[in-house]
Amino acid sequence: MQYRRMGNPTAFLILTVVLPLLGACDAVFQGGSDGPRGAHGALDMGAQTVLLDGLLPEYDVTQPPPGVDPHIWRQVVIPADNPMKPERVALGKKLYFDTRLSKDGTVACATCHDVTRGFTDQRPVSEGVGDALGKRNAPTTMNAFLMQSLFLDGRAPSLEAQAKLPILNPIEMAHPHEQAALAAIAEDPTYKQMFSFAYGRLPNYADLGRAIAAFERTLVFLDAPFDRFLAGDTEAISEEAARGWVLFNGKGRCMSCHQFNPSNPIGTDHRFHNIGVAARKQNFEALASQALEALGQQGGGVQAVDRLALQTDLSELGRFLVTKDRADIGAFKTMQLRNIALTGPYMHDGSMKTLWDVMDHYNKGGEPNPFLDGGIEPLALNEEEIDAMVELMFALTDARFDEQNQRLFREQRTLAGTERPFRDTAMAQREIYPFEERVMGRVR
Amino acid sequence: MKRATIKSVETRYYEERDALMRGLKNLDRRSFLKLSAAAAAAALAQGVAFNFHSFQPVRVARAASGATADFTFAYISDSHLYKRDLNDRFVRQLLRAVDDINHLTPQPDFVLYGGDLAQLGQPLELELGAQILKNLKAPVRMMVGEHDWFLDMGEKWRGLFGESTYSFDHKGVHFVVLHSVMEDDFWTERGMTPTQRMQTVAGLDNGIQSRFKVGAEQRSWLENDLRPYSNDAPIIVFSHSPLYKYYRPWNFWTDDAEDVQAILARFSRVAVVHGHTHQLLTNRIGNIHFHGMLSTAWPWPYAPEGLPALTVQMNRADPFDPNDALGDGSVRVNPDGLVDKLYNLWNRNPVQVASAYLTSAGKTATPPTPNLKSY
Amino acid sequence: MKMRTMKSLVFATLAVLLAAYREGGAEEASDETPKGAKAPSATEQDRIDDAAMAQWKGRVEGRDWMAEELAKHKVLTPAPNDGLIGKGQGATYGSITREDVKVWQHETYKEAVEGSRIFHSADRLKSTIAVSCDMCHPDGSNTHPETYPKFQVQLGRVALLRDAINWCIENPVRGRKLEPDSAEMRALESYIYAQRKGAALEYGKR
Repeated sequence: MQYRRMGNPTAFLILTVVLPLLGACDAVFQGGSDGPRGAHGALDMGAQTVLLDGLLPEYDVTQPPPGVDPHIWRQVVIPADNPMKPERVALGKKLYFDTRLSKDGTVACATCHDVTRGFTDQRPVSEGVGDALGKRNAPTTMNAFLMQSLFLDGRAPSLEAQAKLPILNPIEMAHPHEQAALAAIAEDPTYKQMFSFAYGRLPNYADLGRAIAAFERTLVFLDAPFDRFLAGDTEAISEEAARGWVLFNGKGRCMSCHQFNPSNPIGTDHRFHNIGVAARKQNFEALASQALEALGQQGGGVQAVDRLALQTDLSELGRFLVTKDRADIGAFKTMQLRNIALTGPYMHDGSMKTLWDVMDHYNKGGEPNPFLDGGIEPLALNEEEIDAMVELMFALTDARFDEQNQRLFREQRTLAGTERPFRDTAMAQREIYPFEERVMGRVR
Repeated sequence: MKRATIKSVETRYYEERDALMRGLKNLDRRSFLKLSAAAAAAALAQGVAFNFHSFQPVRVARAASGATADFTFAYISDSHLYKRDLNDRFVRQLLRAVDDINHLTPQPDFVLYGGDLAQLGQPLELELGAQILKNLKAPVRMMVGEHDWFLDMGEKWRGLFGESTYSFDHKGVHFVVLHSVMEDDFWTERGMTPTQRMQTVAGLDNGIQSRFKVGAEQRSWLENDLRPYSNDAPIIVFSHSPLYKYYRPWNFWTDDAEDVQAILARFSRVAVVHGHTHQLLTNRIGNIHFHGMLSTAWPWPYAPEGLPALTVQMNRADPFDPNDALGDGSVRVNPDGLVDKLYNLWNRNPVQVASAYLTSAGKTATPPTPNLKSY
Repeated sequence: MKMRTMKSLVFATLAVLLAAYREGGAEEASDETPKGAKAPSATEQDRIDDAAMAQWKGRVEGRDWMAEELAKHKVLTPAPNDGLIGKGQGATYGSITREDVKVWQHETYKEAVEGSRIFHSADRLKSTIAVSCDMCHPDGSNTHPETYPKFQVQLGRVALLRDAINWCIENPVRGRKLEPDSAEMRALESYIYAQRKGAALEYGKR
């Protein structure tokens, strides 16, 4: 399938001159960058737009995109009040890359969901207006249209709802209220015309959310070597990765939560599980009672939850802040595994730099805490098996990002070769047990 | 996580009396006698008979007035441990339960271990269990299950934990711990080895074993043990088998249940807390409240028939989560001597079955209905 | 196996006779007794016979296996076909006889009972943690074979009963997965279907 369109001369110039210059400066997980990167490490918005054009194929947006089950597209993905139209996608795209939607004009959606950084920011936590740091890792917008809820705690039920929130968050895009955000763009005659064309109305905040959602529904990245392997091409992925796939379905127990099937091809069950990442730092019981108190005072409004989630330590309680359900304490959403190689660092707080770290965490049975999901247990995987599964993870990257994928593989492997801070072989091999140290005191 | 405590007029009255009774401990003999006379008078007013011959009046009077402290005990049950390097899951899950109880604030008064600590009654299994339970901060009361007993007929168990049948008093409540998994000899005629006997009993659906019973000897012990207590005394019975008849093929059953219930029938406040069934179970027969305990090892489906009408099922277990439908829990003993049972289900919201639900025969304080029933 | 058993039986008998010979003092000489050997008394002979029989029974497992299994575990019987006796006509079916019905019944039931044996045995499931199916599914309960095929997200595909069995073997039982067409799998399926006799088919039900 041809993705690159070389028709546009500007695009050609950028692709052949600017990009190689920038190529050396693709952001690594440590966030370092040389060359012309904008505020908060993002590539210039104009350049990003051009790159994106190069990545996405031309197709009729009113039809299901290639690679997505048409039935699921029509019945599950598209909401009744926002059917896809080219003018809506165009408006959404313009908004996605528009830094005026932030209070100081430095942050757009594409700042933390950067086309060149896996549609995330490849940082542990995101940086917003005033260089304010949040508490959570930014999920990718790639294939986000297939998520059943958005945010790591699932507090937004749709793409439309999600798009409207970061704009108003004081540490992300920091507009004080919807009117301020609109004021920044509503006087622009282009926007007036685009909103009218797309929704037949003057610019308003609800339609702003809808348009961005419509655009995000075109970010389809489901063409990985893994897909060709599933379709029958046994050479599409390495033998090691194929072994990883067997382990994924078997000893690794991954499929229980990271579900892949034709109707839901992205590797998540859309549910929330406490796998113990937050438990490394927090005292859950104390935080939970704190949270109930705080929510009672501020009222349970969606924005209050949003603010709490990102600003305070309570963020570590995850889904609990949304449902106030005791079973959800410390639970975060199962992330999609598509393009996972590009979206490090990993976990809700970006605490794991490599996929080897992730495997070490699961292999030892997560971190014991009173709310640990019952499905998390020591797996007794050996090093070869871990390598095979990591190899599989890298085979899940869309073919269009092959070069970045390979570079990141080399970087991660080098880093994993020097340090594996989460590895605990005794625990993984079931010589000592989770909860044993908590209960019996020091046993090693 | 709120627990509803229904305080009737009588309860508040009893609480005042309770405060009075607590004061008794600090009195000199003269004041003590004065107060005890007052208590006796009050008890008489309740229409309870008792004798003056020893300190019994105080005890009986206390029991008669129903003045018990408001306290909680926790439970862990049915861990079915294999030896350590054979099955890690069961060990890990028992450790998790101990961790849960150790993190309760405030700490419970004691922890009941509900039986089936070992899976095949092996010494290594029982020792492993004992070792783990030692790490509970609160004191532990042990109860025996069939998996602990039938390899060596309780030899190792007695060595580790003492007699399997005993009773004790705690804050005005009389606790009885029964060995309710006695079985008629089925093994001698078949020439079974101890291991074969244990394997037979270990199979829930193994039809060769006999039905559980308490037995005549223990029943007579029970009668004697309960004799000093007035009908008003709060009694809590710990039993591994349910002490009623639920489903015979799985030994969710006590053969002489009616006889045991007859002994308990005279008491106005009796609760039976039992193990063995690995599920949320609620029943009431006469004045006797029956509550099941959760297992830490594996859940069981509800039996095809015989489920007590009062039981509001827990959601069926999700096989993809090894800890689902498992957990530990606690029992709160109210000042009125009735109990509220709390099921601390892992990865789910806790479920409380309050005494009001049972006393109202299911009309009030209904536990949450499941949205995924067994079928 | 029978050959080996016969051989050891012969050896055992010889050993006994030899021992008797060594003990010496032939008193009741019979035509078969070797010269000088003491013939075993009547009760001794019984004991020898019983011991030999017990050895034989112990080694040749199979004779009473069905009765043994059924003494422990109830297995529901297949549908009765007695109503068909005497029916049928012509060359193809002929007339259905009592013996036919008995054979169908017995062979079908045997498969289900064999399934019960495997279902209740952690060893035969090759469990590494000594877990057998009946621990969570006493009498095959809660297996719901009538709800397959159904989409099981954790398996990533539409599952048949055998896929669910294999998942259970791999995960809660931590044993070795069975080949779908192996004798064990077929027996397990037979048992599970047997215990759910009468349930209406409802594929896809969760």
